[in-house]
Amino acid sequence: MTTNGNAIEVRDLSFAYGDIQAVDGVSFSVAPGEILGFLGPNGAGKSTTIKMLTGQLLPDAGSISVLGMTMPEQTLDIQARIGVCFEEKNLYENMSARENLDFFARLYGIKGMDFDPYLRRVGLVDRADDRVGTYSKGMRQRLMMTRAMINGPDILFLDEPTDGLDPVSSQSVRAVIKAEADRGASVILTTHDMHEADQLSDRVAFINEGKIEALDTAENLKLEHGQRSVRIRSRDGGGVEERVIGLDEANAGDQIRDAVAVEGLMTIHTEEATLEDIFIKLTGRELSA
Amino acid sequence: MNASKAWRIMRKELRMGPRSPLFLYAIILPVVMTFVIVGVFGSLFAPSPRLGIVDEGNSSIIAAAQDLEGIEVTTMSSENTLKTMVEANDLDAGLVLTQGFDAAVRNGSQPALQFYVGGESLASNRIILQVTTLDLVREVAGDPAPVEVDVVTIGDAEAVPIASRMVPLLMIYAVAISAAFVPAASIVQEKEKGTINAVLVTPTTVNDFLGGKAGLGIVLGMATGIITLILNNAFGAHPFTMLLILLIAAVMMAEIGLILGIFAKDSNMLFALMKSGGILLFYPVVFYIWPSLPQWIAKIAPTYWFLQPIFEVGVKDASLGDVWIQLVIALVWIAVLLPAVHAMAKRLEQKVAIEA
Repeated sequence: MTTNGNAIEVRDLSFAYGDIQAVDGVSFSVAPGEILGFLGPNGAGKSTTIKMLTGQLLPDAGSISVLGMTMPEQTLDIQARIGVCFEEKNLYENMSARENLDFFARLYGIKGMDFDPYLRRVGLVDRADDRVGTYSKGMRQRLMMTRAMINGPDILFLDEPTDGLDPVSSQSVRAVIKAEADRGASVILTTHDMHEADQLSDRVAFINEGKIEALDTAENLKLEHGQRSVRIRSRDGGGVEERVIGLDEANAGDQIRDAVAVEGLMTIHTEEATLEDIFIKLTGRELSA
Repeated sequence: MNASKAWRIMRKELRMGPRSPLFLYAIILPVVMTFVIVGVFGSLFAPSPRLGIVDEGNSSIIAAAQDLEGIEVTTMSSENTLKTMVEANDLDAGLVLTQGFDAAVRNGSQPALQFYVGGESLASNRIILQVTTLDLVREVAGDPAPVEVDVVTIGDAEAVPIASRMVPLLMIYAVAISAAFVPAASIVQEKEKGTINAVLVTPTTVNDFLGGKAGLGIVLGMATGIITLILNNAFGAHPFTMLLILLIAAVMMAEIGLILGIFAKDSNMLFALMKSGGILLFYPVVFYIWPSLPQWIAKIAPTYWFLQPIFEVGVKDASLGDVWIQLVIALVWIAVLLPAVHAMAKRLEQKVAIEA
């Protein structure tokens, strides 16, 4: 751990691709066992930040401390204790799942490992000896998750782990992420899926144009930046009347009481801002942009 | 570079090699090329005319023929076998010496001599064997030769048969494809599929990665080189010297393979580079096939400095002492290429991360 007890400490991190400033003075920390969601549209700087944290790119400026070790001096020691799941399905397709895992395990210095428990966890044990080239997208993604975990990492970097997956595969991947966090692994989850970030993350960082615009729990972000309301629908003669009452309004209680007292009440829904709403409010951009 | 990590990369490549068409191609190509050259053009490249003799008596022609240099003599007991072999072009010509042939020649009774000629044999070989046969018979008769022939060699006194001059061609194919092209294609494929990124986020450096690929090229290059030399009966009289030369050749080609693999953005670019730039590696073989061309041109290419020792040791039975200067120059080429590989390797890691 770092001196503050965090798994990751990042200070003033910057990186530019030529004239394009991809990451601009980013600072944050991640606690052990915490899931930090990195939310931002394509090109916001999420993947570049991950590449620097995993030792793939050298930062132009700033400092990175991972598990009490510093980059780039101790990159190999850090890499021995992290797991990375890429957005790109970069598996050896002419090898089986077992052969893929065995090869990567050996790169971590692990020999004779039993991969069946890992493969069973993601529902791939029955196809373990089939070539990965015959796998569906969801199966490949689950295998990539498994590959990221074979060294029992203290930190997992997951780049869009459920992107384009069917609901069953997504559920399976999310269950694995939760289980890894419960085990004590810190997780940095890069995504532009607000629901996923909301569901999984302990805290969420909004990244836009290389900068962190906000970093807090999803609930705090909603409380701070969102608007809470109650939507009430009732019959009004031949039509339907709909009222939206803001919970932060001064006489909200009275308004709600009056609204539900009318005859012909149909539905009452509480509403809160989504992470996407807040992201748009803070950055003026949509997450899916 | 961590040798253990490089070994793990190489081990994976060797284990998975048989599943790669290019890997198989690299191993099979020199074998196929050897058989094509020996099989299709075998008679063209055969160094000696082949004469079969059936001796029904006890003719002195057999011993005299076997003493001749430059003619391959086979004796057999049956005329039918002789005819079958001539017809199949296993022999260029055959003759049958009847019972009492020598005595009949000596007493001037002019016995019949059956001389079979293969329809597919080279005209030059037929003429050589006919003239030789007449000379042998004349010797039996005790007639002095009507003239004394003074043989004067014009041109290269150590002329090498064309089959042997093809050895550098076969060797450059064997070593270049397996030691350079296979690792280069493997690196490009890893870049295209993004698997290199997955490897480089483990505690494996880009030097470990490239070391594994180079190791693959060296092992494969040496293996195909050895197979090619054995198939062509060109290993020479100094096997350890030849192994040393092959190692140097494989290391140089593996270095070139790494440079190509790092430089090429994709498979199309790699194939284009091999097709266009390959001539710079391959052209020295032309100077072995046509030795009258100015040899200094061949010496410009780095590959010349291992092809020439292979030729000298494999074909002319030279020793290490005869070729050490060429090998030192080959090692200098390797040393010159090494910083280029190192500089490109440093850029590779950043490049693949940026492009991912």
